[in-house]
Amino acid sequence: MHIPDGILPAAVCGAGYAATVPIIWYSVRKINQEANPRESIPKAAILTAAFFVVSWIHIPVPPTSVHLVLNGLLGAVLGYYAFPAILIGLFFQAVMFQHGGLTTLGVNAIVMGVPALLAYHIFRLRNIRREAGRITTGIFGFLAGSCAIGLSAGLFLVILVSFIGAGFDVEVERAAIYTLAVAHVPLMFIEGTFTALVTVFLHRVRPRMLDYA
Amino acid sequence: MNFGIDEYIHLGSPFHRWDPRFKLIGLMALIFAFSFVQDLRMLPAMVLVTALVYGISRLPVSFMLTRLRYQSFFLLAVVVLLPFLSGQTVVASIGPLDLRQEGLVAVLLIATRFLCILTVGLVMFGTASFLTTLKAMRALGLPAILTDMALLAFRYLDEIGGYLHRMETAMRLRGFRGRRLSPHGLGVLAWLGGSILVRSYERSEWVYKAMITRGYGHAKPARGEFQACTADVVALGLTLLIVAGFVAGEVLI
Repeated sequence: MHIPDGILPAAVCGAGYAATVPIIWYSVRKINQEANPRESIPKAAILTAAFFVVSWIHIPVPPTSVHLVLNGLLGAVLGYYAFPAILIGLFFQAVMFQHGGLTTLGVNAIVMGVPALLAYHIFRLRNIRREAGRITTGIFGFLAGSCAIGLSAGLFLVILVSFIGAGFDVEVERAAIYTLAVAHVPLMFIEGTFTALVTVFLHRVRPRMLDYA
Repeated sequence: MNFGIDEYIHLGSPFHRWDPRFKLIGLMALIFAFSFVQDLRMLPAMVLVTALVYGISRLPVSFMLTRLRYQSFFLLAVVVLLPFLSGQTVVASIGPLDLRQEGLVAVLLIATRFLCILTVGLVMFGTASFLTTLKAMRALGLPAILTDMALLAFRYLDEIGGYLHRMETAMRLRGFRGRRLSPHGLGVLAWLGGSILVRSYERSEWVYKAMITRGYGHAKPARGEFQACTADVVALGLTLLIVAGFVAGEVLI
């Protein structure tokens, strides 16, 4: 779900970078409102590396395997650090693996990062009435994971179909959006389930890691 | 762990010697100028400039070909599908499929822009160590939270990658194959991911204490880490002239 270089016009790439600035500013402002923001930076940085590594785990979907995006889980665990973490992860991928792109870094960060912030707010709802138990954590983990990947897929498709090439036939455009949207439904289920299982695991083993949300 | 991106930083070409801050500004402007190109007549100039940049950098061609292999199948899908789906002017028919002129033009533009941007990106990051590039970004005024997080994440990527490798090996030795999607298999993989997160979190608590002991947050940022000379400024000026040429060419043609 990474848009490579050369696909999008320069104006869209520039707009992507411009859009990341207020989101980064807002995230940094929220982080600085914490009691000890300096303490969180090493934790968020090392967890950024950990999420990068966890996304390498192959999930078997015969006849092939998929890598999960995990932006919902990132939002649930890192809160407002999720957007900077995703920006850094995408930068590493563009430089080290040539996945995604340098001109499209801003656009890709919006596609992955904004849903991660949404996932953070969804996951926070689990404690709205009382301290969440295992089942509530799992349900909200599932919602955070599946909604984040669903929104990312939606943004990705809209950007791609709107800006790639010229003169798509309306019928072709509609068919492409429906086909690709349907193709992402199983991925939403897998990503949601994986996020639910990891959040329940963290709830049992190290509940402090979920304190952010 | 940098996956070989700074394998050739010892070569000593003009790009290797160029101040990393100026190199970042110049080459980023160049790749944005490339992404601005919409006219087919600009493509030869783009390829020529890219070939010149790559030639001067002295990076081996095999390095570029290896990095190209990493790119996803996404671009291949675009190249294969776009000529049949985009546009109205049919130039040829292959069975029930119509090959369209607008789609072919779009594919040529996308593929050339992609290859040129990727190649210039390799010169940008393949001629200095990744750590130096991150420090140059900090010197250029990127927020401290981003650069601190990037430097630390880069530092611990290798170590955490090692956790995953060891744990996957241990799982295989205990008989886990995970060849098909099942609730049990997904659960095991989720625990694997969760364990890596917990280990990393515990590691981060020690790292934070060690950093505080060494004065993290109190030390003044180092100044004068990069020293630009006249040649660096001239090189940046030349690159920006080329960038202006592309923009002007695109607007005027």
